[in-house]
Amino acid sequence: MSHVSLPEQFAFLEPFVATWGGLRSQDERYLKRQELAQGELEAFHAALAPRLEEVFVHLDTFDPAALPEAEALLFRVVLGLTEASQAVEIFGQPRVPHAPFPHSVNMEWAGYQPH
Amino acid sequence: MTDITEHMTKARDLGLENDRVPTEYYTSPEYFRREQDMIFRRAWLMVGRVDELPEPGDFIVREMPTLKASVIIARGKDGEVRAFHNACSHRGVALVCHERGNALTFRCPYHAWTYGIDGSLRAIPAEQDFPHVDKATNGLARIHLDSWAGFIFLNFADEPEVTLPEFLAGIDVMLEGAPFEQFPFSIRVTDEIDCNWKNLVNAFNEGYHVAILHSKTLRAAVVPRENPHLHYLDVKQFGPHSAGTVQRNFDYDPQAPALTWVYAQMLPTSAPDIAAIEEGRAGFYEHPGINRIKVPNFGTETITIFPNISIQPLANGYLFYQFWPISAGRMRTEVRIYSRHAPRTLREEYAMASTLAATRDVVVEDMAMSRLQQIGFESGGKTYQQFGQNEPLLRMFTRDYEAYLAGGGLTKVPTQAEAAE
Ligand code: FES
Ligand SMILES: [Fe+2]
Repeated sequence: MSHVSLPEQFAFLEPFVATWGGLRSQDERYLKRQELAQGELEAFHAALAPRLEEVFVHLDTFDPAALPEAEALLFRVVLGLTEASQAVEIFGQPRVPHAPFPHSVNMEWAGYQPH
Repeated sequence: MTDITEHMTKARDLGLENDRVPTEYYTSPEYFRREQDMIFRRAWLMVGRVDELPEPGDFIVREMPTLKASVIIARGKDGEVRAFHNACSHRGVALVCHERGNALTFRCPYHAWTYGIDGSLRAIPAEQDFPHVDKATNGLARIHLDSWAGFIFLNFADEPEVTLPEFLAGIDVMLEGAPFEQFPFSIRVTDEIDCNWKNLVNAFNEGYHVAILHSKTLRAAVVPRENPHLHYLDVKQFGPHSAGTVQRNFDYDPQAPALTWVYAQMLPTSAPDIAAIEEGRAGFYEHPGINRIKVPNFGTETITIFPNISIQPLANGYLFYQFWPISAGRMRTEVRIYSRHAPRTLREEYAMASTLAATRDVVVEDMAMSRLQQIGFESGGKTYQQFGQNEPLLRMFTRDYEAYLAGGGLTKVPTQAEAAE
C-alpha cells in the first residue's frame, strides 16, 4: 500500500481508503460496488454522504489538474460514493437486479481525463 | 388540464395491425445475414459527430461489428470530411491503428505505402516494382458519407438508393435547427450483451416497462400520475423514423443526501432545468418540432432513426443510444451522454460521474431484460411475441424492418423541383 494518507480533517474516511482509494476508473468502482456487501456500502455512505459539501469546500482550494497526493487520494475515495450511492439510495442492494455478475462496462470521457 | 389520454397514440390510430411477431426474427442466423445485406448495407448509418473532427487532418477510426467494417473518417486539408475502409491498397492491412488523431498522411506499417488524409495514394517504396499500379486509382476505398445536424452518416452501398435527406424522410425537417451543437461534450458507455439488437430497439420504443423494470431508477422521476404506464404521446412517423413525446415529474425531489448534493452542483443531463425553461433558454425545449402538443410536464421527445438509433433531447443535453448487431444473439450497445461542457471543477466531475453511474444503471436494467428475453426466445416454447395497442412504435419498426428485408423500405421522396414538374 502507498504511504499517502488523507488530509488530517478527513481521517474519518480512513476505514474506506483500502477499498476505494486505489481505484482509478468508474468501471473499477462499479465492479467494487458489485462485490461489496450492502452493509459495507451503507457504512461508507453514512460516513460520507452528509459531509460531501465539507469535502468539496476543501477540494475547491486546489487546482483540479494538479491535486497534491493527499487530496487526489481523498477525491478517489469520494468518487467511490458515485457508485455506493446507487446501491444505497436507489437499489437497496449492491447489484443492478438481473444484470450479469461481475458486470464490466466501458466508460470513456471524450477529451477529459477523469480522476 | 388537458386530457392526456387523447394524445396517447394507439397502434390502431396508425393502422398498425401486426400484433404478433415471429421470435425467429430475433434468433435466426439467416435473419441476421439478411439484416446485414438488406438493412445495414442499404440504410444510412450514423457513426459520430463532425465536431469530433474539428481541424484539417483530424481523423477517427470506427469499428462497425455489424458489417465487420473498420472505417477511417478524416477531415481533409480542404475541410471536407471523408470516410474510407481501413485497408491498404497493397495487401490489405488495416493501416490506421490509433482510435483518433491528427495526421498529414497515413503510412502503412507493413511496407510503408503512404496515403494522403484525403485517401489518395501518395507513395510506394520501390515503385519500379509496381508498374501495374496506377497511384491515381489506388487510393483508400471510399465509403459514402453525408451529415445532418452535425451527425455523420455512412452508406455502405456501392451507390446509395436514396440521399441522406431522402432517407431521413422529414424527421430532419421536424428537427431543423435543433441545438445539438450546444452540447459538444460527451461520455460514451459501451457494452456487449447476449441478445438480439432489436430487443433493445424495442425497449427504447415503449414506455410501458418504465414503471415496472425501472421502478427504482426512473419511475419516481418520470412516470406521472395521469399516465401510469408512460404511454408515449403524439407519435409521429417519418418513413421508418419516428418521434413520441414523453412526460416527467417536475416535482421529483429525491430524499437522498448524495443525489440531492449532486443536483445542487450541476443538473444532470436527465433533469429539467426549470429556471432555463422559464427563461426560454432551454435549447431543445423551445424547439417547435419538440413537444408539439405542449404538455406542461414535458420530459423528452424520444426520436428513433431507423434502423438502430434513439435520441432523447433534454434541457441540459441529450442522450444518444445506438444498437449494433454482432450476430443473431449478440449485440453492442453504445450510449453517449452529451452535455454543455467538460467538468470545470471537481464538484462537476463528481456530479457527472454520478449521473454517468445513474444513466448506466438504467441502461443496464434494459440490457439485463433484453438478455433474459433472448433466453426466453431461444428456449423455443414461444414462436411469437406480442405487441399491444400501447406499443405502436414496435409494430411500426417491425413493419419497416420487414419492408427492408423484402427489398423496399427506402422510398425516394420527390424533391420539390420534381414534384412541381
Ligand atoms: S500491406 Fe500496406 S504497404 Fe504492404
Ligand atoms: Fe428502459
